[in-house]
Amino acid sequence: MSQIELPESLTYESWSESLKNGTLLGQECADCGHQTAAPKAACVRCGSRDIATIELETTGEVYSETTIAVSPLGFDAGFKLAVVQLGEAKTVGRVSDDVEIGDTVTLSDVFEHEGQPSPVFESVE
Amino acid sequence: MARASIVGAGMTKFGVHEATLPELFAEAALPAMDDAGVESDDIDAFYLGNAMGGQTENDTHLAPTLASHIGIAGVPCQRFEDACATSSNAFKHAVQDVESGLHDVVIVGGVERCTPETGLGTGEMTRIFASASHRQYEQPTGLTFPGVFALLTKRHMFEYGTTPEQLASVAVKNHAHGAHNPRAHFGRDIDVSDVLDSPIIADPFHLMDCCPFSDGASAVIVVSDDIADEFDAPVDVTGVGHGTDIIPLSDKPDFPSTMSARRAAEQAYEQADITAADVDFAEVHDCFTGAEVMASEALGLFEDGEGGPAAAEGRTYIDGDMPINPSGGLKAKGHPIGATGTAQLVELVEQLRGDAGDRQIADVETGIAHNLGGDAGTTLVSVLEVRA
Repeated sequence: MSQIELPESLTYESWSESLKNGTLLGQECADCGHQTAAPKAACVRCGSRDIATIELETTGEVYSETTIAVSPLGFDAGFKLAVVQLGEAKTVGRVSDDVEIGDTVTLSDVFEHEGQPSPVFESVE
Repeated sequence: MARASIVGAGMTKFGVHEATLPELFAEAALPAMDDAGVESDDIDAFYLGNAMGGQTENDTHLAPTLASHIGIAGVPCQRFEDACATSSNAFKHAVQDVESGLHDVVIVGGVERCTPETGLGTGEMTRIFASASHRQYEQPTGLTFPGVFALLTKRHMFEYGTTPEQLASVAVKNHAHGAHNPRAHFGRDIDVSDVLDSPIIADPFHLMDCCPFSDGASAVIVVSDDIADEFDAPVDVTGVGHGTDIIPLSDKPDFPSTMSARRAAEQAYEQADITAADVDFAEVHDCFTGAEVMASEALGLFEDGEGGPAAAEGRTYIDGDMPINPSGGLKAKGHPIGATGTAQLVELVEQLRGDAGDRQIADVETGIAHNLGGDAGTTLVSVLEVRA
């Protein structure tokens, strides 16, 4: 993992700027230990506001996946999405190659749509 | 003990409609009022489900507009928005308000147009539907709603061995039921290979695993328990549960369980003092075939993992041991978002009154509706029973 200064309170702006630079930030709850890749104002499991910004693991396991053949306006069709388990957190992202549930993937790139980033993962042999 | 009763029901055919939203809504609301035998002066309040009129037709502040169109201007009106669970949430509030004594007679309904009659194509409408996913952490990936349910269903398939053929059998059954419903968007017999040979939308879903974009409206008249006996053929509302789950999708701990449905069902069954074993039939939110399988398990109608085999074995047909979606469901009847929840209630009322014609299920006394919104972030479960 990179050595970066983690913001105490994680906003969408700092989350997205970090992701564009290749770092996936999340939060960990001091009370229940839940980790999330989608930052919030309080823990989604227990409601605690004692949540710290953390740098998420970048290699994990595919929890679910699909290929979107009919896309929303503004997106090219035929891309693959996966929900990836990264340590205790899960995130949704694009995957650049064929994967199945249980496969190991790692953060490889960032996909941007109208300035908003999403993680891109690739298979680890 | 009833919380409220439904004494009138009406709906349009679901499909393609040129009518404006007020005109379309009137085609459901006025027949519901006529069915109940209520005049406009009898209506104390109006609760409306419309999810996307602002985005699809530049039409907001709809409740008073529609009230004016159907001759009940002046009553308290409110529009509800909860993605595809929109009009069930409106119904919940109507039930609460007649139960509390605030109102005696409430009209609840929904209206939506989703077909190209709105002037919007598939890509634009897919984008609007996707607005029910997380704006920052999901929408930028290009996630669609078939994609959301594909991610949920793929995990169900992984954990329980649910097969594409089992999913397809849900579509086959719902099309067979829809063939007996004159108001259904689609009604013709298909087979499993028709589903599996249709184009992929988001794997594992083929086109025929997915419900259509439809236009339509539905409405019911809800009255307090005290006055229900003054009407012909009241159907009692004995429970309305409302559960939610974490958004975004990826934060949900367990995809196949659809926890919002389990929470809603637990509340609804407790209010009605029933268990899943007492349920005679169900209308469930089969926006995609996998959604019906997961719903049938979350509602306790089948054990976890048994929803797929049960569908493939034909147990969910009208003449099976647990009929699901006698109307044809969203899959065949259609899915005009804001009209869907109350349309499920219209089907329950007709079945419980014995008025469902060729799709009537024999000897039913207790029916449930399961109406899901967004990425299973919201679910309402309603229990309706023949009045004792």
